[in-house]
Amino acid sequence: MSKILRVNMTDLTARFEDVPEKYRLTGGRGLTSSITCDEVPPTCHPLGPNNKITFAVGIVAGTSAPTSGRISIGGKSPLTGTIKETNSGGMAGQKLARLGLKAIIVEGQPKEKGKLWLLKVDKAGAQLQPADGFTSKGLYETYPMLFKKFSDKVAIIGIGTSGERLMSMAGICVNDPENRPSRYAGRGGMGAVMGSKGLKAIILDDAGGPGVPIANKEAFDAGRKKLVAALREHDITKPGGALNTTGTATLINVIDEAGALPTRNFSDGRFEGANKISGETLKETCEKRGGVGMVGHSCSPGCIIKCSNVYPRPDGTEHVSVQEYESIWALGANCGIDSLDATGELIRLCNDYGVDTIEAGVTIGVAMEAGLAKFGDSQKAIELMHEIGQGTPLGHILGSGAAATASTFGVVRCPTVKGQAMPAYEPRPIKGIGIIYATSTMGADHTAGYTIAPEILDIGGSVDKLVAEKSALARHFLHATAYLFDSTGHCLFISFAVLDNPSGLEGVVEECNGVLGTSWTVDDVLRMGGDIVKKERAFNKAAGFTSVDDRLPEFMKYEKLPPHNVAFDVPDTELDKTHDS
Amino acid sequence: MIEVHLYGKLRRFTDNQDPARDSILNLPVETGDTIEDIARHGSIPIEEIGSNIFLNGEYSALTRKVKDGDRLGIFPTEMQLLYKWHFAKKRE
Repeated sequence: MSKILRVNMTDLTARFEDVPEKYRLTGGRGLTSSITCDEVPPTCHPLGPNNKITFAVGIVAGTSAPTSGRISIGGKSPLTGTIKETNSGGMAGQKLARLGLKAIIVEGQPKEKGKLWLLKVDKAGAQLQPADGFTSKGLYETYPMLFKKFSDKVAIIGIGTSGERLMSMAGICVNDPENRPSRYAGRGGMGAVMGSKGLKAIILDDAGGPGVPIANKEAFDAGRKKLVAALREHDITKPGGALNTTGTATLINVIDEAGALPTRNFSDGRFEGANKISGETLKETCEKRGGVGMVGHSCSPGCIIKCSNVYPRPDGTEHVSVQEYESIWALGANCGIDSLDATGELIRLCNDYGVDTIEAGVTIGVAMEAGLAKFGDSQKAIELMHEIGQGTPLGHILGSGAAATASTFGVVRCPTVKGQAMPAYEPRPIKGIGIIYATSTMGADHTAGYTIAPEILDIGGSVDKLVAEKSALARHFLHATAYLFDSTGHCLFISFAVLDNPSGLEGVVEECNGVLGTSWTVDDVLRMGGDIVKKERAFNKAAGFTSVDDRLPEFMKYEKLPPHNVAFDVPDTELDKTHDS
Repeated sequence: MIEVHLYGKLRRFTDNQDPARDSILNLPVETGDTIEDIARHGSIPIEEIGSNIFLNGEYSALTRKVKDGDRLGIFPTEMQLLYKWHFAKKRE
């Protein structure tokens, strides 16, 4: 019987609780959002004693389900003021599940200001110990020290100096299979919430843990088989497919060709340097430089897609893992920077200081627009990252994110929604993405909308018809289906295969039935997803958000973006219909 | 003329195979030509073309007609990564 671990940082206690019936059949985002809604006052200060941070495993995490190592982290976000779920690959999700835990809830706040703690969880229980000696350093220094102290077989969920300093762009880091501090639940500043709890790191040692019980092995195996088949057959997810070879960065050239690659702080939809920072160039650089460089790297055991990479320096030694699409775009095209060596260094610094690459890149883009550096000046961009790492006054402004930086320097072109920086898809030419950015419960977020049903939108009709008229119901469906993947522990990238192959989608639901002993159908799961979105909306409403917050920044309504020369023209009334029904 | 940007292994049909630079074919257009006709003019095997085809930045099918001055982007089958549910494919 799995448990919930509740850690109180005020009195420094940790206790195991039975899982309440209402949480028994959920996981991942479903669980973090339910706990946040049930236990966190919506009007609390995100960095105060009444916020809580929840680490939850997906329903199938820790089993042999393919590509299912995600961990969800939720609470109230200091960046957006909304409810937040952010998730990561790496080693933590599976180990947490195999320890027999569904979630860790961290609450309260230490009396001693500035004091940081380590939480060690193993089969014997959970203990807090001072983090003395492990703070105020980059994570490339801290993680090896922690592995040395606790064994190289543990998983570490930790924050960098940005989280210690409570910066709103601080993410939460999870080690990859080679123990790099390189996978991030990056979005929404949850690293600052963890820092505000005085928690530097959680160390998970699953040796001798109870593992994940499977109620109906036959159903689980049948579902798993269907999903594996769907992933192995689909052109995007199969071995040798796009994700496995040129990685997510394949999208640099694709979205550039579509005229929707946000360039120089969202002032153009095409970047003349796109080829130089593309997935193709990344792959060729790995091959030419040799050494440790590789594509087809997996960020967690049991992933059969393997979209990650290790980027080499010119001499073949390791520079950074991972150069993925959003990161390369944010710190590359969006800053006018056309070098993978430069984006690699900027990503390495994000990993070291513990910040979200998307928020960091968009913030530097805004800073460039403000005149703190010229677009394309990678050296100056690196210096700005060091300001964040060193916690200078300017670093604190930048570390507060794109919206705070724009506000400080009077930049009107501020590409955020609910205070969160937009990811790598321009919403003016891709209006569906704009609707998602505007209406997501999480602020501008691309992952809220991967999973729209293809039969609704993948149609032969005209683009214009697609946009404003038929979309509202579809968007609702989309927000709801995102729940399915975020709650199972599966990576969202399975959506490419399973939305083209109904058998794959059934497989995911059957895996859940296998673990939980339920008899859900695809429709049941979609309905449950809709319920979670409703809860999240209710939290935001109680926190003071209204339909006026479900909008894109005003400049996108009057600035036409080349090369399509379009503004965002979806009427507000359409945006407000997104969550109807 | 139409400017055709090729990616991945399709770059071999141009004089540039360095992925860090543009690989462009400039091909003549006749009235009524479709994207598929243009591909044939460029000796690009249709079976190597994936679903990522963009005519002037619009997600398009092989059946769509082209005109003088257009820009066409074509990706091979192994590069068809796209959140295609956000893009309605233009067919004509």
